[in-house]
Amino acid sequence: METGHKTDTGVSVDIRNISLSYGKTPVLRDVTLAIKPGEFFALLGPSGSGKSTLLRLIAGFNQCQSGTLHVGGTDITNIPPWNRNIGMVFQNYALWPHMTVDQNVAFGLEERRLPRTEIARKVAAALELVGLADFGSRRPNQLSGGQQQRVAVARTIAIEPKLLLLDEPLSNLDAQLRLHMRVELLALQRKLGITTLFVTHDQEEALSISDRVAVLDGGVIQQVGTPMDLYDRPASAFIANFVGTINVISGTVTATSSGAIFESPLLGRVPLPAAVATSGSAQVAFRPHTLSLAPPEGQTAPGTIRIAGTIAGREFLGEFIRYNIAVQGNHLIADQPHYSGNIEFLPGSAINVGLDPTQLTLLPT
Amino acid sequence: MNRFKLLSSTLLLCLAYAGAWAQQQVVIVTSFPKELTEAYKKAFEAKNPGIRVEILNKPTPAGVAYIREAPASNKPDVFWVSAPDAFEVLSAEKLLAKIESPAKEVPAKIGNYPINDPKGFYLGQALAGYGIMWNTRYTKANKLPDPKEWSDLTKPVYFSHVAMSSPSRSGTTHLTVETILQGEGWTKGWRDMLMIAGNCAAITERSFGVPDGVNNGQYGIGLVIDFFGLAGKASKFPVEFVYPSITAIVPANIGIVAGAKNAENARKFINYTMSPEGQELLFDPQISRLPVLPSAYKKAPPGFPNPYTGTIKPKVNFNSDLSESRYYVVSSIFDHSITFRHKELVAATKAINEAAAKLSGKNHPQAAQLLAEARELAYSPVVSEEKSKDKEFLALYRNTKRDAERTKQTTALEEYWSNTARRNYEKAAELARQAAALVK
Amino acid sequence: MNSRLSFAHAAIALAIAAFLALFLVVPVITVVYVAFTNSDGSLTLSHFFSFFHLTLMREAFYNSLYVGGMSVLISSIIALPLAYFTVRFQFRGAILIQTLGVLPLIMPPFVGAAAMQLLFGRSGSVNLLLNEWFGFSIPFMDGLNGVIFVEALHYFPFILLNLVAALANIDSAMEESAQNLGASGWRLFRRIVFPLAMPGYLAGAALVFLKVFDDVGTPLVLNVTNILAAQAYLRITSIGIDDPIGYVASVIMVIAAVVALWGSTWVMRGRDYATLQRGGSSLARRRLKPWQALWAYGWIVLVLLVVLAPHLGILLLSFSKVWSYSILPDTYTLDNYVTVFRDSSGMMVNTLLYCGIAAGLDVILGIAIAYLILRTKLPARQWLDFIATAAIAIPGVVLGIGYLRTFKDFQLPFTDEPFTAFWLIIAIAYTVRRLPYALRSCMAALQQLHVSLEEAAENLGATKNRTIYRVVVPLMAGGILAGFVTSFLTAAVELSATIMLVTAQSDAPMSYGIYLYMQSIAGRGPGAALGVIAVITVGLGTYFSNRLIRNHAASRDAQLLKTGV
Repeated sequence: METGHKTDTGVSVDIRNISLSYGKTPVLRDVTLAIKPGEFFALLGPSGSGKSTLLRLIAGFNQCQSGTLHVGGTDITNIPPWNRNIGMVFQNYALWPHMTVDQNVAFGLEERRLPRTEIARKVAAALELVGLADFGSRRPNQLSGGQQQRVAVARTIAIEPKLLLLDEPLSNLDAQLRLHMRVELLALQRKLGITTLFVTHDQEEALSISDRVAVLDGGVIQQVGTPMDLYDRPASAFIANFVGTINVISGTVTATSSGAIFESPLLGRVPLPAAVATSGSAQVAFRPHTLSLAPPEGQTAPGTIRIAGTIAGREFLGEFIRYNIAVQGNHLIADQPHYSGNIEFLPGSAINVGLDPTQLTLLPT
Repeated sequence: MNRFKLLSSTLLLCLAYAGAWAQQQVVIVTSFPKELTEAYKKAFEAKNPGIRVEILNKPTPAGVAYIREAPASNKPDVFWVSAPDAFEVLSAEKLLAKIESPAKEVPAKIGNYPINDPKGFYLGQALAGYGIMWNTRYTKANKLPDPKEWSDLTKPVYFSHVAMSSPSRSGTTHLTVETILQGEGWTKGWRDMLMIAGNCAAITERSFGVPDGVNNGQYGIGLVIDFFGLAGKASKFPVEFVYPSITAIVPANIGIVAGAKNAENARKFINYTMSPEGQELLFDPQISRLPVLPSAYKKAPPGFPNPYTGTIKPKVNFNSDLSESRYYVVSSIFDHSITFRHKELVAATKAINEAAAKLSGKNHPQAAQLLAEARELAYSPVVSEEKSKDKEFLALYRNTKRDAERTKQTTALEEYWSNTARRNYEKAAELARQAAALVK
Repeated sequence: MNSRLSFAHAAIALAIAAFLALFLVVPVITVVYVAFTNSDGSLTLSHFFSFFHLTLMREAFYNSLYVGGMSVLISSIIALPLAYFTVRFQFRGAILIQTLGVLPLIMPPFVGAAAMQLLFGRSGSVNLLLNEWFGFSIPFMDGLNGVIFVEALHYFPFILLNLVAALANIDSAMEESAQNLGASGWRLFRRIVFPLAMPGYLAGAALVFLKVFDDVGTPLVLNVTNILAAQAYLRITSIGIDDPIGYVASVIMVIAAVVALWGSTWVMRGRDYATLQRGGSSLARRRLKPWQALWAYGWIVLVLLVVLAPHLGILLLSFSKVWSYSILPDTYTLDNYVTVFRDSSGMMVNTLLYCGIAAGLDVILGIAIAYLILRTKLPARQWLDFIATAAIAIPGVVLGIGYLRTFKDFQLPFTDEPFTAFWLIIAIAYTVRRLPYALRSCMAALQQLHVSLEEAAENLGATKNRTIYRVVVPLMAGGILAGFVTSFLTAAVELSATIMLVTAQSDAPMSYGIYLYMQSIAGRGPGAALGVIAVITVGLGTYFSNRLIRNHAASRDAQLLKTGV
């Protein structure tokens, strides 16, 4: 590969105890995060969670009040943005309207005072890499959104950054293109082996392509883990809700010698697979697709807890149908795979819900 | 839309206000400074309650244009400026009304110059003489001797310390130039003029620029009309003023605009300015002008010049017909060979002065010859005396109508003068430098 | 575009064209037709050939180009650091600096030149000091270079105002992405920031060039006559000769102005400089390192000292009785202010009224023309721009005479007063003469505004008018303000048309009063005092409108911060 990256050239990122506030408003609070070399890492959170601030801090556009930032083992906390060699793709691409595509891509290389022939070679290679080899002489306002995004990426990777930062890179694209581009981005990252950090508010995007994800809320890191970790073992109701859809039931938990018992009016007494340290009020969570549904006269799957309810509403989502079920003053969400011949429940009809106790996750309180 | 309401109601209010303004008044277009006009306004209004004096202060050319363009229903009443040429233009365009002088004791002429318009369209209201004004601090700091005569200003010691205006910009400067030309003769007159101009730091665009610059020390010495010098001194500026022996004394004029809206009030105002009381106002130190009324001098402050008794007197017999016959020719020659070529003229003068300094006391015939040639080139007029008397040539400039043929001819002449002057000055500077190089 | 809309656009365009025709084209033609005719009325181009035959005129033309170009260069060197540092960095006193930077524009022509002479002239304070200490002096104010020096100090605010507006409009991501790719400092500025601010810079630079090219006051006060504007003026105002060459020079200046303008739009052709997210990401003002701050403040203080020297000069002059060939005035007094307040308080009100009307109309016309040109496809719309801008090249005397001539027989309704005696004609003359300033600022502001922001508003149900009122105008606020301020300030010191059009002292504005006082042989103290009052009045107005806009912008930024990023 022309740009010269090998899988082993990725660098680690070490964020230690970083705090930042704008005036009196704290934006990041004591953030500590370690990113491994070559990782495709997502910062996920709702808007206002501080994820973009953290990204801009790594790029050098924000200054933290305390804490340190190491990239590849070097402390870069006080290095200005232009000396960091960290590539960033901006949410609106920030392509300069007064330059052609070629000039945009060549910019960073020119700043590095490379010989002209080498610049030309690298610009061509970078555009080739994003599939825009023939677009060099156009101006940004003559390109489509997707093409602009590729130029932004080409411009950034042309300088062979040790770390790639993507700020909501797909948010300005249409749905079809977004799916396509995220696969492309991942392929590109894998090819270059470059450590990549990207910010998104879209959990599906984060889960689908990243190696690991950090969830931020209110300037605090809520949980770090692989997509599956987050999905299966959310550390809080917030994460559980933010990463996919989930049902949460409140009750009490009692520690026993073999494990724990969860008790609530809706579920009765349910043994939990994991042990708990303390007893007291607690919440359990379970994903909508782990529920099975049966007509009132039918049986739910063996080993499940049976809860009677009424269909309050439904959404057809293609692969599955999402039912909203009223149960004893509560609501449950249940997803049923959709294929021809499957039974459909109409709103208002009574129903039995089957809950597999092994799918319950006890949420930390 | 509140702002709009505010604006429109303001507009309406002001419309009403403009309409309600229909009092007795007299409108005077003048180029005179505020001190003079305010004094007359106050005194006249006190004497004639119910008549308001409206002073419109405009530079002379703007004043002429204003009177020309004003709608017939709203012509101003009185025109009151120094320059006689402005009155000539207005009277030629039939924009002035005939006027009878209320002061019979005013003599017909001062020197050779008629005080009142012989055709009866304007009156001399005050007299003014041209002279030399200098800043005493400036001359002291630069160790300059006090000048007394026009010819003093041609001396190298005054190089870059003098200022004057241009005859095309100021009617009074025109008179000074004409005075020198008539007093010294065409060739010698231009020679002096060119040497003075070569000593000038600036040829100012407005005649007021000269006394102004001398007052604040921008220039050391200026050619000014007397009241500028006298009033500057009275206002405590460190300046002195002297009348040279060759000078012209000429009237500052006043007249009634043809079709004036308030012609009766205009007559009243002019009569007032010519009355003994009105004439005495001129003695105010901030005004310092010479009355035309000989009897007014009885009340003059001590030391005040009196042109009728000979404290100052014009030595030249000023020929106003000659002046008029070549009026625009003189202005145009001055502008094209001095005003617009001042940089080159100054450079030539500088080179000549330097060479002369080097040569003084040395006997070097070749260098002296070169220097004489340089002087000849730099200080000869671009139009010879003969040509200046050529009827056809003068006619070209007396015909002020614009047509393609005339413009073509005058611009060709201007082009010739301008290029000749520049070539002469550059060549003169070159010769002077050669002369200086010969003397080691 | 639907037909009703384009009908409305056409109607507005026609209304503007009618206004320009009535108050600019016709009056000017009634005067300059002289350039094309013989006195018997027959048409001729012979005067033009005569004009080009004159070496002096060719020289004057080149001198004018040189002075204009150099003034743009020097103005840029002054304005760029002031604008860049105060907009892009955390800078104490940024508003103060930007306001002070605008002050030179309010300098009334006679007073400003007089003050400059007192300080920098051949016997000015600086040269007297130099002479005393070192035995030499510097001819700051001599010849063409003197004109450039004074013009640059006087007109650089045109660039400053427009550049500040343009810089503030640049999406900060544009700059950050360049930093991210390794650019910083001067290179960042030269390659990214400056090119992106180009519409604003060009608007300002074009104004400076046009203004200097056509300025007659400064060269004449410095006694420089070998430039085109001075030649035109001298010939037009010479008494008694019907000299067509002066009018030919005027026509050529108008053509040069239109060509310069067309050139600046030609440079920008086909480029979309709109940054999509106006204020989308809050502007992160960078912090200067201590040594950088030292340099920046040092440079700015130095520049401001030179730039504000004339103000210091007139302040001293206004308190002085006699100031002649000395470093400082001899004696001080308050009399000048007493005189001014006694005689001329009505003039201040008149100035505020006329200039307020003129600047208001200018901004409205400016927005309308800019909108028609940039947002509609009306045929020949570009001509509105060219005609309006040509006003800059019309000598005030010509416009003044033109008004008197054109409206000679026009009576005000319900009165027997002629229209030419009505004060509104002065305000209209100001409107026409200062329209080019407001227009350039409005064009630059609209150019930077992406059309999608308007489309969004229309999409949300706002009509064209509502969109302009609620989205376009607020987002153009910076540029509109810059336009209003320049129109207002420069109208406040307009003199040449004023002198022609004042028909009663009660209608006279301050600039007329300053002219009157500056003519006084008893010293220019009262003129300077009136000048100081003018500077303070108009300066305060600028400062507060600046603050208003800033606060507005700050509260918007704070909201953005709350909702995310």
